Amino acid sequence: MTDVERAATSSRRRILVVDDSALVRLYYRNTLQRAGFEVEQAINGIEAMEKVLAQPFDLVIVDVNMPRMDGFSFLRTLRRAAADVATLPALVITTEAGEQDLDAARAAGANFYLIKPVSQQDLLRHAAVLSGAPA
Amino acid sequence: MPFVKRAVPAPSPAGRRAGDDVAPHNDGLEPHIAALGSPDIEVRWKAARALGGRADAVRALATALGVEQVARVREAIMTALMRVGDEASVMALLPYLRSQDAAERGASIEALQALPEAILPFMAPLLADGDSDVRLLATELARNMPAENATQLLCRLLEHEHHPNVCAAAIDVLAEVGTRDAVPALQACAERFAGMPFLPFAVSIAIARISDTDR
Amino acid sequence: MAGSEAHGPRAVRVTPEDVRRLCEFLYRRTGMLFDDNKRYYIDRRLVERIGATKSESFQAYFAVLRSDADHEIEQLINAFTVNETYFNREEHQLRCMTSDLLGNIIRGKRPGESIRIWSIPCSTGEEPYSIAIWLMENWRLVDSYNVEIVGSDIDTRALKAAAEGIYGVRALMRLSRDVIGRYFRPVADGEHQIDPGLRESIQFTRANLIDPSEMARYRGFDIVFCRNVLIYFDDSSRRIAAENLYDCLAAGGYICLGHSETMSRISPLFRVCRFSDAIVYQRPEADHDGR
Repeated sequence: MTDVERAATSSRRRILVVDDSALVRLYYRNTLQRAGFEVEQAINGIEAMEKVLAQPFDLVIVDVNMPRMDGFSFLRTLRRAAADVATLPALVITTEAGEQDLDAARAAGANFYLIKPVSQQDLLRHAAVLSGAPA
Repeated sequence: MPFVKRAVPAPSPAGRRAGDDVAPHNDGLEPHIAALGSPDIEVRWKAARALGGRADAVRALATALGVEQVARVREAIMTALMRVGDEASVMALLPYLRSQDAAERGASIEALQALPEAILPFMAPLLADGDSDVRLLATELARNMPAENATQLLCRLLEHEHHPNVCAAAIDVLAEVGTRDAVPALQACAERFAGMPFLPFAVSIAIARISDTDR
Repeated sequence: MAGSEAHGPRAVRVTPEDVRRLCEFLYRRTGMLFDDNKRYYIDRRLVERIGATKSESFQAYFAVLRSDADHEIEQLINAFTVNETYFNREEHQLRCMTSDLLGNIIRGKRPGESIRIWSIPCSTGEEPYSIAIWLMENWRLVDSYNVEIVGSDIDTRALKAAAEGIYGVRALMRLSRDVIGRYFRPVADGEHQIDPGLRESIQFTRANLIDPSEMARYRGFDIVFCRNVLIYFDDSSRRIAAENLYDCLAAGGYICLGHSETMSRISPLFRVCRFSDAIVYQRPEADHDGR
């Protein structure tokens, strides 16, 4: 079975975690995997785009600040992409909670946002809801 | 065989064809600098590329960067500045750490990160900047520095830093390049942020990476 | 340690944390992911490279790796990837070319117009010849356009071998006997040589990806195969090479990287394109203002 076939037949929800910090990705991955999610990672928006196009996901968790393609640019590109990918739920992780930042997140196509540093409970709760995992 | 074999033109001699991107040091500076202000995207792109590595073009490149709207030309200007890599080019790139635009911030980090020696004199003030976003981004600039420099700079930051995300960024870099000297500052950080999410975890990973290494 | 002591250089110890640090660095730098299944394999190669660089500890070696002294990143990766070049090495990209890329490319062309395809680096020629053979075997429109295939490399000895077009059986392992019969003739020592007609159809040139004046000779390419070289350049050279390739491509032209390479570690200039057989990258048709 190819990775894509396995992903499509798995009943586990698949989440792509996008952040340029290795420790943040490790933290998200550990938390989400222990709760039964399948997790892939990317370090910037370009890699995230590549992975989202190559394999099915139920949710992308994306940091705003990344080099080469930041989170908002990635979201805008995602929302303009092919139909099977454009509607992928996106949880944006931002360092700021000002009006401007939330407006920007919404305008870019985020479904929800959290502020760093993210607690494991918040991460799990929102990951479950947004990825459509059973309660 | 259905394939066509056409000779690839030979490299042109010193008298270049107009519009070719070139980098000889005897090429006139002024035409390229003037071209940086052209309304034509392609002309600006070629000009930025032609000025790559030219220290005498830094001021013009910095000015052009300030007004350039097209992403690929911005990239080419940053490459050109990166290739100079001196103090003036670092100073041309630094303001973009403060940009409201995440893409601009990311681009400047990428360029500056490639200049660990040139950026070194700026690190202490950057890591002490009043803006926490600037301090956060500055930690990333230590990543390509020799382990001792990075460790010293980031430990000094950690000792006084109260913003959790800035600490988190410093811890990430230390996990990759930190020496054993970083352990006390890391432990103190974990204690300071004991109740916060993520930070104690980050410290534990960084200390594990640093400590369990052969000497 | 009790018992007999070994004399000679102290064996360098590599711990699991060292390997994690290394893998995190490699992932960040190249995009290559080494999960737990591959870790054991890395341990051994890592110890080899520590010895080869005469490093006294993992720390010392890691400093060498981070600075990429003497292209150590490439040396390390080469130590645990299979590098041989052979015909139809990444067949899915060739399939993508005939299934999708060419269809898009000819939409902007009249019959008889040129289609330019570039293999750089072409090494000893397996890739450009594979492209040519694949097109003749799989693209029914190959006679309707002026297809031009160029193979370039920085290594003139490799280019000479490419022009000669003589290969051993291993290089031909992916080709069917029919295909070999159609495009090769047997020569001495069990080797095969590409037919002269095909050999003469490919333009082989010396080119350096980082040299803008050399690269200025190449314009209007519809497809560029640039595999397993960009990722090993330093920060500055990667950007220059990407900008050079951008200029060499026609608007809307495609670039294909090596299977474990990603533009995410190289340049933001290109659009990611997904097709059934491959992910490739495209020079945008037009610029847009701002972001």
